[in-house]
Amino acid sequence: MKCAICSREALQNGFCELHARAYRSVLKKYEVWKKALNISWKEYLSEVAKNPFTGEWAKEVAEHLLKAGEGQNGS
Amino acid sequence: MEKYTLIITEKPDAAQRIASALDLKGKAKKVEDNGVPYYVAEREKPIIVVPAIGHLYTVAEEKGGRNYYPVFSFKWVPRYMAERGAKQIRVWLETISKIAQGADAYIDACDYDIEGSIIGYCILKYACGGKENVAKRMKYSTLTKEELEKAYQELLPKLDFALIEAGRTRHEVDWLYGVNLTRALTLAAKDWSGKYATLSTGRVQGPTLRFLVTREKAIRSFVPAPYWEVKAEVEIEGQIFEAEYERDVVETKREAEEVLNACKGKDGVIENIEVKQFQQMPPTPFDIGALQSEAYSLFGYTPRRTLDIAQRLYLDALISYPRTSSQKLPPAINYEGILKGLSASPEYKKLTAELLAKKDLKPNEGKKEDPAHPAIYPTGNLPERVLEEPERRIWDLVVRRFMAVFGEPAIRQSVKVRININGQRFFLRGRQTLKEGWLRFYEPYVRAEEVLLPQIKEGQKLKVVRVVSEDKFTKPPPRYNPGSLLKKMEETGIGTKATRADIIQTLYDRKYVREERMVVTDLGFEVFEVLKKHCPSIVSIELTRSLEERMDKIQANMENRENVLLDAIEILKPVLEELKNKEENIGEQLSNAIKKARLEERVVGKCPTCGTGTLMILYSRKTGKRFIGCTNYFKKRCNAAFPLPQRGIARPLGRNCRGCGWPTVQVRIKGRRPWNLCFNPKCPLKEERGNLEVRNMQ
Ligand SMILES: [Zn+2]
Repeated sequence: MKCAICSREALQNGFCELHARAYRSVLKKYEVWKKALNISWKEYLSEVAKNPFTGEWAKEVAEHLLKAGEGQNGS
Repeated sequence: MEKYTLIITEKPDAAQRIASALDLKGKAKKVEDNGVPYYVAEREKPIIVVPAIGHLYTVAEEKGGRNYYPVFSFKWVPRYMAERGAKQIRVWLETISKIAQGADAYIDACDYDIEGSIIGYCILKYACGGKENVAKRMKYSTLTKEELEKAYQELLPKLDFALIEAGRTRHEVDWLYGVNLTRALTLAAKDWSGKYATLSTGRVQGPTLRFLVTREKAIRSFVPAPYWEVKAEVEIEGQIFEAEYERDVVETKREAEEVLNACKGKDGVIENIEVKQFQQMPPTPFDIGALQSEAYSLFGYTPRRTLDIAQRLYLDALISYPRTSSQKLPPAINYEGILKGLSASPEYKKLTAELLAKKDLKPNEGKKEDPAHPAIYPTGNLPERVLEEPERRIWDLVVRRFMAVFGEPAIRQSVKVRININGQRFFLRGRQTLKEGWLRFYEPYVRAEEVLLPQIKEGQKLKVVRVVSEDKFTKPPPRYNPGSLLKKMEETGIGTKATRADIIQTLYDRKYVREERMVVTDLGFEVFEVLKKHCPSIVSIELTRSLEERMDKIQANMENRENVLLDAIEILKPVLEELKNKEENIGEQLSNAIKKARLEERVVGKCPTCGTGTLMILYSRKTGKRFIGCTNYFKKRCNAAFPLPQRGIARPLGRNCRGCGWPTVQVRIKGRRPWNLCFNPKCPLKEERGNLEVRNMQ
């Protein structure tokens, strides 16, 4: 199976090794954002997607999750 | 002709300097034989000084052929036998052999370090007919007349064989790694795609790439976190000052707002004033790594460039031998003599006079040592020619650093004022230099930050102009640049001072990284992933370092060459087997990466005409001519097309034109200076640039 974002082989959660790493990073930082700004998962994703300091892979993951409309647990 | 003494140097410039220094009249005669220059110096007994041109011998495999691995048997051969394009070496060696026949005494005067020792050793052994055991060694750190004369009077009785052994081992181990791994990767890719592209890795290159990949991954998966910075602007004697909130980072928006609300409309009171004085010690003398990082941060020169410039200054007898890891300046170099020499320059006259007036000159040395050379210092000579700007800068930097290490510590004062605004605490900071000390000698390369505060006292009331909170985000770790990467290699103990800069350059040449703030390319990622997956030992930093330490031990007679070589082969064997077994798989992965990389190389930038397409360097099907076109052309949505010069190599520059903001390309034509081309026909800078580009288009 291919990664949901790039053409690499998917390893976990439907992502390749690199995007899976970025996905973990996106998941983890939500706690910080929620506490800081009291925002929803979706609002968070769109903030991350447009932030200039967000890394390329993390941005791709955020955009993918937004488009897929997935919840925090992949639901 | 009577018998003479033969002196061998590493480079022609050094040969000329040594011959002139040793000639009784100070004027050596230059002779050219087959295009090889050498110098005759008259003395009680004549001396001939003949230069090498760097390494004349190299490691090569015992059997010929390029297309197989593993290769574990090797020998030392003249470079022309192993490398294409080294024909000149053949004539050079023949000439040295001829001159050696008329000599009855031999002196190795190559640079006193690993590389120089091997160069001299190989020439004495192979080109002079086994003279390595009778030859004497000349040791010096500057090419000044006085030191060369002294070094000649006090020759070392024999070559430094431990250093030579260490050097040979290094070259042999690096060759084993390089040739085997490079062939394995290159052949895998070639067998899969049928196309040839050199992919390389080496003993130090792999771990260096690892630093970059690790950092790149952290940057690309980075998610910033929001935080707030709160500041209060207060008025003291009509002047506005900015005080920082006691917590540098406020983690939530709610807390930041609470602070703002609490301060609204309130005055501040100075609760406490803390004054501290501290010393700022002078810097330590430059070793090569420190010079390279300083030159990078001040002038943006790559480590490779700085080394080349320093090398030229050394050959001009302006500075001491630059490839040193020492931070020591022994009194024997004659501090006073150097300062007196420099005082002849109006620029340094005042500063040197100040130092010379001191009772005692004592440098602030660092811990690092080098058995062969002291730290880098100016010789005290002034330039005999007009230095090019980069040379002048590096020389000036070395001179000022040298003066600075003899300076007094600077004394600075910091003031920390605590202000209470309705229970919220803010800090106002001042900084001031009380005594300049060494700072003065190192200007303009150091600037002390000065923030002066007016007279204030505890209990004083202050008007708060406003309190603000700024939205901030945490930032990803910074990218390596050639300077910081070199530092990292040094700290980790991989590579040597002679090789690190080249290894960094190779990463660029192989297109594993691009740009000054080093970005790992997809190709760099793939090569690293392949190595990590199939041969983790090759990219292991620990393993590389431990091998490095053992090679250093050879130099101290605590380890021997055979052991290290055998162990290196033991490490390589299983790795190469694995690479061979997985050749097809690896070949596919690498070939795809190469293909992608080649496509990436042609991407010029975003299309300014349609705004959505990508401009690429394309070739016309009809005429074969190259031009810049938009990818949206194929979707019939954009017609943007711009001509390019047909000769030479054109590559996207990755920078936008300062006139119009369009992406630009660089064009290189052999024998000409590369130039940057803005292809926007309506660029406002078009006229200013003249017709140069227009001519080149035709
Ligand atoms: Zn992926």
